[in-house]
Amino acid sequence: MTLMNFPTVYSVTEAEINLDKLLEEITLTSSGAAAIFTGVVRGVTKRGEERRTAYLEYEAYVPMAEAKMKQVADEIRERWNSVEGIAIVQRIGKLYPKTPTILIACTAAHRDTGVFEAARYGIDRLKEIVPIWKKEVGENGETWIEGEYIPASGD
Amino acid sequence: MNQIKILFFASIRDKVGTKSAEMNIPNGMTVSQLKEKLGEQYPQLKDALKSTLVSVNREYAFDDAFIPADAELALFPPVSGG
Repeated sequence: MTLMNFPTVYSVTEAEINLDKLLEEITLTSSGAAAIFTGVVRGVTKRGEERRTAYLEYEAYVPMAEAKMKQVADEIRERWNSVEGIAIVQRIGKLYPKTPTILIACTAAHRDTGVFEAARYGIDRLKEIVPIWKKEVGENGETWIEGEYIPASGD
Repeated sequence: MNQIKILFFASIRDKVGTKSAEMNIPNGMTVSQLKEKLGEQYPQLKDALKSTLVSVNREYAFDDAFIPADAELALFPPVSGG
């Protein structure tokens, strides 16, 4: 097998996430499938006690966040050698309901190659180790949302 | 002595009241010793320190790790991106 130069793009940005541009960057002529996950700001939360969110304010430790995004991409490639391109982009700043905040996309030759699982792994792992935080602002004031995962050696 | 830079993020920054601090620490200090020192300097941090994550030069660092010279540290709560 020839060693291909598979594209990996990752960034923390205040700009709007441009799906078409990212997809173009991670699609090769051999790609036939792209699995895309995007998270959006939820205006009304019904799980648990119902609450309304005015906006979320995201911040990041940018250089470490980008290094950890690269690590997540490397981990995806270790687990799914079918994956061709990977994009991981987190938008930060003040973001209102219905706005996309995160995008994780993986491309592969075919859809049955684990590409869905690869994208799923990417978002789950990002929520564990990439240093980004959000503050929720709503009817009950401001609350920092904190994750539950405690990193261990190797994270 | 070792001069280090410490960055604070999210709820930890709110508690400390500043984004970063410079600090002189003895050579060979560990992460847990630094946490103890920070708890004395910023008493309002004491309760949060148990669940506070620490990075050294942009990698997660654990209690027994020694802090190298001129390190950039960061203290922050468990992450919540996405």
